[in-house]
Amino acid sequence: MASSRDDFIIAIRSAFLKKSTQQKFSLLTLVFLSVFIILLSSLDFRAVRYLKIGINEVVYRSSFLVSIPENFLKDSFIGISDYTTFFKDYNQNKKELSKMKSNAVSNNIIEFENKELKELINDYVSTSNKILAKIIMDHDSPFLKSIIINKGSKDNIKIGTNIYDQSYLVGRVIEVNYKTARVLLLSDLNSNVPVTIAPQNVQAIITGRGDNFGHIKYMKDGFSNDLNNQSIVYTSGTGAIFKSGIPIGKLKIKEEGSTKKFHVEFYSDFTQLKYVFAEVIIKTDIENTTQNTTNNQNSTPIDVKLNILEDELKIVEDTKLKFKQENESLKKQINNLNNDILDLKNNISLQKQKIEQSNLDKKEVEFLKLNLYYSHKCRRSFFNTKGFTVGSDDYRNCVLNKGRKN
Amino acid sequence: MASLSSRNPFRKLYSWLPIVLLFISVLNEFDFNYLNLDYFSFNFPFILIFFFTLKDFKYFDYFLVFLAGLINDTVVGLPLGISSLSYCLICIATSYLRNITIRPHIIKDWFYFLFTISLINSISYSVLNLFFSYNLDLVNYVINNFFTFLFYLFFIYIFNYYLKGVND
Repeated sequence: MASSRDDFIIAIRSAFLKKSTQQKFSLLTLVFLSVFIILLSSLDFRAVRYLKIGINEVVYRSSFLVSIPENFLKDSFIGISDYTTFFKDYNQNKKELSKMKSNAVSNNIIEFENKELKELINDYVSTSNKILAKIIMDHDSPFLKSIIINKGSKDNIKIGTNIYDQSYLVGRVIEVNYKTARVLLLSDLNSNVPVTIAPQNVQAIITGRGDNFGHIKYMKDGFSNDLNNQSIVYTSGTGAIFKSGIPIGKLKIKEEGSTKKFHVEFYSDFTQLKYVFAEVIIKTDIENTTQNTTNNQNSTPIDVKLNILEDELKIVEDTKLKFKQENESLKKQINNLNNDILDLKNNISLQKQKIEQSNLDKKEVEFLKLNLYYSHKCRRSFFNTKGFTVGSDDYRNCVLNKGRKN
Repeated sequence: MASLSSRNPFRKLYSWLPIVLLFISVLNEFDFNYLNLDYFSFNFPFILIFFFTLKDFKYFDYFLVFLAGLINDTVVGLPLGISSLSYCLICIATSYLRNITIRPHIIKDWFYFLFTISLINSISYSVLNLFFSYNLDLVNYVINNFFTFLFYLFFIYIFNYYLKGVND
């Protein structure tokens, strides 16, 4: 019994300490070294962090190079499988494109409205800039679902940066190196995203389980009855980890006996990703608003009253000046109008005179005309003793009456 | 003639092939994800390390195995040192088996391999879950363990063929 225990101890000791001629380190040394590294990596020392970033950069690039043959095989496999469903996909895409075009217009309007409202709520404007990033590694292990992108701190990528496939959410950055970053996919077990399920407006959290779909968890009881297969899942923005309103996927309800299971079918296929967009957000403060608010906060009530009175005085002076100017302009207008009236009166009198003259002229012409015809009847002569003297009023009346009337 | 052939660079590369393969496998990860096979995964480095350290292959350096572990952690995104520790534990297990075995038998080795990888995966799962608060799916670990165990027989057939070639 004792000898077998001794044999065991000897075998163990030999396993730990014995080095072959080729081995440079004993296994015990390497085990201690591993434990030491695990401890160091769990402690967030700056030197260790930089060392880790350096190792990551080198390893990710090397991995990219080593993966080229496998990626080629992978692409060929995907290419061949794509060709088999090419026509079907084409028709489907055509239909979807026409739908999306119509949706795009309304989306733009909503986006503008959203931006305006956010500016009203917050005292900053967030301008987002999406940068294209290439996936250099997507070997998601069965335990951790993550990808490596070729953008890092050099390109303003930060921990928590949202990653998109077109406009769909893919995940967020969990590790940043100088020129690379690791993205935790939504399908990972460690990923928890606060979401809103529309149109029912139900709040929930989705988590991954390593599958190509998400699982709904932490949904309040009673709300699940309203949900259906057409419900859309998008980020709610709760917790400020993810931006609000980013589409994630469609809800799928699976009934297993009496219980319902809610899955989220992601819009994006994480196994087919080649390029993604990283959203770099830059916050700019609205300066005027903040300045005004700070001024108001610093001043006393008397100062505020004085300011108000000064403002009122300014307004009164301004209005007075305006009234004066208006008064002068009105006076000028009245003078001008009086002048116009005088001119018009003169014109009228002149016209009256002219009319009178023309009337006289008309009467005179009439008299002369009749005089030609009836002068012999009205003029006193040898044969007409009852006639009148030419030039007298009676003569004129006689001519106008076309002869004497008894 | 024999000395000439050992100096041949191709011959040298052939001798270092297992370690090269180990580095390629940790850098690349043969995951076959694009086949969309649910739950299918196996740990090729475990098979490789177990076999060649059990055979005490002279070109299979422990330190290089340790480095491969560090690279694996970087690629997969695990805390640095976890895989190195796992690989070193496999080396210890094989070294122990070698010391206590007088007449090696393939089936015994196979089941000892199952015991070793189960123990190492358990340690790895516990460390990640308890000390690093990683959420991990135990089912995935069990399936990975099972497939690695199954593929061992297939790979040792190829590796034995390789060893024969090297010894010749």
